Amino acid sequence: MPTGPEEGAERGHERAAGSLPETLRGPATLLLGLYLVGLFLCVAGNTASGTSLLIGTIIDRLFAPWMVPLWLDLGHDTRLTYGLPEDADHHLEIRLAGKLAGKLAGKGVGRPTAALRLPTDGDHSERAARWRRLAAAAVLAEEDAEQAGVLPAAIGAGSFAAAGDDDLEIRIVRTSPPDYASARSPRSDETALEVRVRRRDGELQLIPMPPAEEVAPLIDAAPAPGGGN
Amino acid sequence: MGHRSSSSVGALAAAAAGTWDRFWFTPSTAARLAVVRALAGLLGLLLAWSWAGDLDAWFGPDGIVSPQVLEAWRSPTALSLFDVARSSAAVWALYLVGVGLLGMLAVGAWTPIAAPLAALFWASLLHRGPMLVGPADDVLAVILWCLVVGRSGDAFSVDRRLAAADARPSWRNGLALALLRLHASVIAAAAVVAQLKADVWWNGTAAWWLAARESTRVDLTGVFAGSEIATNLVTHAIVLFEIAFAAGVWNRWTRGPVARAGLVGWPLIGLVAGEPMWGAAMAILAWACLPDDSAAETAWPPL
Repeated sequence: MPTGPEEGAERGHERAAGSLPETLRGPATLLLGLYLVGLFLCVAGNTASGTSLLIGTIIDRLFAPWMVPLWLDLGHDTRLTYGLPEDADHHLEIRLAGKLAGKLAGKGVGRPTAALRLPTDGDHSERAARWRRLAAAAVLAEEDAEQAGVLPAAIGAGSFAAAGDDDLEIRIVRTSPPDYASARSPRSDETALEVRVRRRDGELQLIPMPPAEEVAPLIDAAPAPGGGN
Repeated sequence: MGHRSSSSVGALAAAAAGTWDRFWFTPSTAARLAVVRALAGLLGLLLAWSWAGDLDAWFGPDGIVSPQVLEAWRSPTALSLFDVARSSAAVWALYLVGVGLLGMLAVGAWTPIAAPLAALFWASLLHRGPMLVGPADDVLAVILWCLVVGRSGDAFSVDRRLAAADARPSWRNGLALALLRLHASVIAAAAVVAQLKADVWWNGTAAWWLAARESTRVDLTGVFAGSEIATNLVTHAIVLFEIAFAAGVWNRWTRGPVARAGLVGWPLIGLVAGEPMWGAAMAILAWACLPDDSAAETAWPPL
């Protein structure tokens, strides 16, 4: 082991060569090891398949406090697609509901069904991708008891001022590609989520709207001309 | 016998320690890392731009991503500098400071300060709207934190021009490049593992599901609809490429070719998948994986 002047000369040589000083090698290795364990556990614990209680607890207690704030608690499970409905493009439609929609329709000022669509058709930008993620997240969150309804309500509340009304319909439309077997068919739109958001006496109300297919069809009580079936 | 086995265990441990040290702590010049820094800064500016148009709509006082939304969405340990920005002006001020930091990183100005602050800004922005975050944002966050470790301002930078930076090799550059290589491999491997859980990646139709989305930028539906073989080929090629990349960056013979292939392959996958920014971020990681012997060993001289 070098001592005195020899040690000083060695340190000087390390500095000149840009090497990590010997005294720092142990702490650096320890920190690296800690990070590697955290990285491994985050990848193992952030899969779409879920994680074990043990791994989840270890991450929460030891790694989340410093990896989460740095945005490093990532699973990196970039699946790109599973060909599932949730992988399809989603977009938001916001339209007036309630009295104002009725008034506009009565005066012929626009159609009450005219909606603000986010993102707009044909927008392939990263900004548009963020709106699609927001819409998809709102649908996916319906499966989570804590998150269900939170985003649609927030989207509605955030749109009141721009819409000039406190009563809006929020619809999330999913545009699914056709199966490969029927590749020449057009994409199909379906409503993934539809709610009415309104503010009454300062209180935000979220009213779920049943899918169209669950609503009973209107039947004209008057017999058809000619009396035929 | 016992003495011989203990000495061989000792030799093995010493060899392992030597390998560990060589991988993580070998001094390296800043040239390769400086290119990563410049590209990451530019990608950061592009990604930051995609937040700008809706900053008020999302994060403003009456924005969609309200504190109530964040409470339901975020981990309790998550933090964001944007949490203290209560007014539209404060959100914009913070955002513009962050954009400035990314710009400083791109040109290498006051890099030792700009790098950690840019990483902090980026993590804060993502924590402010976690449901808006895409895979490119995640990869950029990793790259930015790796840049904090190294001395990326020592080359191809304003700092170097002003002679505020030292062009000598440093263990910090070697460590940053090793971390980038590790993450490149882990991200590719995790993507493969995630993909192979679904039938579409086994039966060869995943490329169709990617290309047929409305949001895709390169319309390959005509090609894929006309040829199932082409669809299968592209699907399996993506998986094989990711496997080859994840494993290949660890072997000295395959590292160079695999990393060079990554410079082209990742952007192509990004285009097909409708995630071009993610493809670009992965290409930056591929650049960091290139062996040192092919690195440009020059740096701009001081003025």
